[in-house]
Amino acid sequence: MTILQNIQNINWQGIRESKLYRRFASLKTSCILLCILVGFYTIGTIFPQDAQLDDYIKSGGRFISFVIFFDLLNIFNTPVFLIIAILLFINLVICTFERFLMLRSQNKTAAEDWQFTPAYTFPLDINQELESAEESVREIFKKELRFKEKASQTYGIYIMEKGWSYRWLTWAYHIAILFCFLGFLMTYLFSFEDEITLYPGEVAVIKPAAASRWNKSWGNSPQIFDFKLELAEFITEYNQLPKLEYPADKLSRLAFALGWKDPQYTLKEESYFPKDWKSRLKAIKGNMAVLEKTIEVNDPLSYQGITFYQAAYKQMLKIQVDDNPISFETETGKEIIIPGIDGMLKFGTIRIGTLFKKDGGMEKIRPFTEVTLVKKESSGKLAPDPPLYPLQGGDKGVGRGTETENIGKLEQDGAVYIDNKRISIKEFKEASILSYRYDPGVPLLWWSGIVVLLAMSFRVFGAWYRITYRIEEKDGASHLLIKVNTKGLIADEERLIKRLKHLLEKMTEPIDLDTPV
Amino acid sequence: MSNLETILSRDAYILSIEVRLFWFIALIYGICFILYIIHLTTKKTGPGRLATNMLWVAVITHVGLILLRTFEGQRAPFQTLYESLSWFAWSASITYLYVERKWKDIFLPGILVTSLAVGASLYALLARSPAVEPLSPPLQSYWFEWHVILAFLSYAVFVVSCSIEIVYLVIRSSVKKDLRLEYGLNKGNLETFHRTSFRLALFGFPLLTFGIFSGAAWANEAWGRYWGWDPKETWSLITWTVFAIYLHSMSIQKWKELPASLFNILGFICMLMTFIGVNWLARLLGIPSLHLYAM
Ligand code: HEM
Repeated sequence: MTILQNIQNINWQGIRESKLYRRFASLKTSCILLCILVGFYTIGTIFPQDAQLDDYIKSGGRFISFVIFFDLLNIFNTPVFLIIAILLFINLVICTFERFLMLRSQNKTAAEDWQFTPAYTFPLDINQELESAEESVREIFKKELRFKEKASQTYGIYIMEKGWSYRWLTWAYHIAILFCFLGFLMTYLFSFEDEITLYPGEVAVIKPAAASRWNKSWGNSPQIFDFKLELAEFITEYNQLPKLEYPADKLSRLAFALGWKDPQYTLKEESYFPKDWKSRLKAIKGNMAVLEKTIEVNDPLSYQGITFYQAAYKQMLKIQVDDNPISFETETGKEIIIPGIDGMLKFGTIRIGTLFKKDGGMEKIRPFTEVTLVKKESSGKLAPDPPLYPLQGGDKGVGRGTETENIGKLEQDGAVYIDNKRISIKEFKEASILSYRYDPGVPLLWWSGIVVLLAMSFRVFGAWYRITYRIEEKDGASHLLIKVNTKGLIADEERLIKRLKHLLEKMTEPIDLDTPV
Repeated sequence: MSNLETILSRDAYILSIEVRLFWFIALIYGICFILYIIHLTTKKTGPGRLATNMLWVAVITHVGLILLRTFEGQRAPFQTLYESLSWFAWSASITYLYVERKWKDIFLPGILVTSLAVGASLYALLARSPAVEPLSPPLQSYWFEWHVILAFLSYAVFVVSCSIEIVYLVIRSSVKKDLRLEYGLNKGNLETFHRTSFRLALFGFPLLTFGIFSGAAWANEAWGRYWGWDPKETWSLITWTVFAIYLHSMSIQKWKELPASLFNILGFICMLMTFIGVNWLARLLGIPSLHLYAM
């Protein structure tokens, strides 16, 4: 109660009249703040955000002392940036509040229009009494042109409008922008994210490693959720990808345009292009599956405010060398040393799942991987080429200090030979990597974003008209004096005036109307 | 021939027609550009009028090209940079022709518009692959489709807005001094002509807003993060903010004239940065971009 009283006792009028408040209610301030934000954004595009300082220095980054002093690799979390954003927020709050008061009072009085300079003058029927002319003109505006009367004054000035009020629409999307700011704030304070890797059949507890900023600042530990997630199945799908034979250099492309050669599509056997990755997930509470959904990239699963996304996958291989009972475990894409083999072996993505063929057919892929031998120089010189077999394709890529050689395709039940060693797959498994995120800002952003878009579209693309008119007697004849205001891209003042002229002509049949002055 | 071979050779044949048609359209854009330049240097309306008529030919042929590409890919044809450049060239030209139809003998904005149309077309033809390929999983999203369509459409509208703004700034003082320039502009139509620039920016702004919104919605669905301060994202935010400043400055009495015009042109420059120059500033300063957005 005392708080309420204190609030009531504040001299609001005094605050509203203060210089600082006036400054914050100004559109110029918004522009200046937006300009400053543009400066911050630009810096954020120049310096790699979220990069580690060490990585930045190692990659040859410059202006190190500036970068450290102004925290340029993390500029959007610096206090100065946040303060500018808050000032814009305050600016927007004050603007929308002031605008609201103005709009409310304006609706009643429309004061600005009582003294108007007419843009058009139409002579009306001379024989008509002034009052009936007034009545007829009002009828035209209301019935024929569908205007609504907003206000009228004793001196005979009328204000009419039609269309959605652009002022309220502008106000509405500014308010919605305010709510977007609140959405960003909620994301900033309460969101957290993590990742889980699940093999088919595995169940995981949802236990994020990091807490939200809010929880962290209160020293709370990360939240643990009361449900588990099971990966029932992981599915991969591929498309066949024909390769286009098309010149890369500009001159050949020009020659091609002149009919020098036709392009050609070729389809190699190993042309697999990812079509989709899908995880069949179950949310489990107690021992019950409470929700089941097959997610894919662009189609996540949401449960209890957390959303799970198909982020990536991981493949593990057990490699058997000859008949050795000890196998070597490795992950695809990583290098592994196998005793007796000169260099390191690297296994590419295991192709597995369904292949969607170019001719419309489908087939189950017989799992296979591509094997590469990687040799690194040890003494500053490239390793000499040893005799290698079996050579399939014999593709040799040479990097700086590294030599790679494509050994070929290794099928699930097949083998490749390197340095007289037989390499085969003993076992492999594939895990789905799911990222998950809790972000209570998103629903607010969704709704306020939609309101911004709708209100802005109605304001910009719609049509709003306000007419202010008076009927006056001049030289013994009645005249209609009128001013038109329009907003919105489809509002057409010219067309309105043309229609009005036509309707007035009908009303004043015997009189030859002048064109509007 | 096997079924597969028939499909591949049919696809290659359609592609060869498509690419050659695109070259032909780029050539017409180029000729239009030259004609507009001739109009600028000779002050004669004939070349300007011819350029506009030829631009109609290019735009109508370009509709055929876009439809052909849709047929080839069996999807909306805006999803690779090659495709969106073509869409951009077309939408900038059609927007220009649409607003120009109301003017009599004003052709100067056509210079910038056609130079960008020919530039975008040549960039697509010379530097990007025309291959019709399936989309990778993250790109298979309606949000992504709308994102590209509307963002590039807004860019096209901003191009025309900026062209008018530049012509206005260059020619304004001469018209006001009543020097006869014979570019179709005079005291009577100068301000209405200039107003078109504002109306276009106003038209483009909700489109860009939706472009950014749909981009964020797409990122949210694909990766769970609607915003990541990636250079490309940030440049689109810069463009959006600069246009918001421009629209606001049109409501500030003291900023209405030159400052507002400069903001409009700056918005256009930012748009170009978003489009192609994302890491150019970083490179210029010798700053390594550790997180580079794939174009
Ligand atoms: C991110 C922030 C903002 C965005 C994106 C934004 C957007 C816009 C746009 C696009 C317009 C032009 C539409 C029209 O001509 O009606 C506009 C107009 C306007 N804005 Fe904002 N605005 C923002 C912040 C602000 C703030 C902080 C203020 C407070 C001073 C403000 C006050 C106004 C006013 C007074 C108009 C003129 C409306 C009229 O013509 O009646 N805006 N805004």
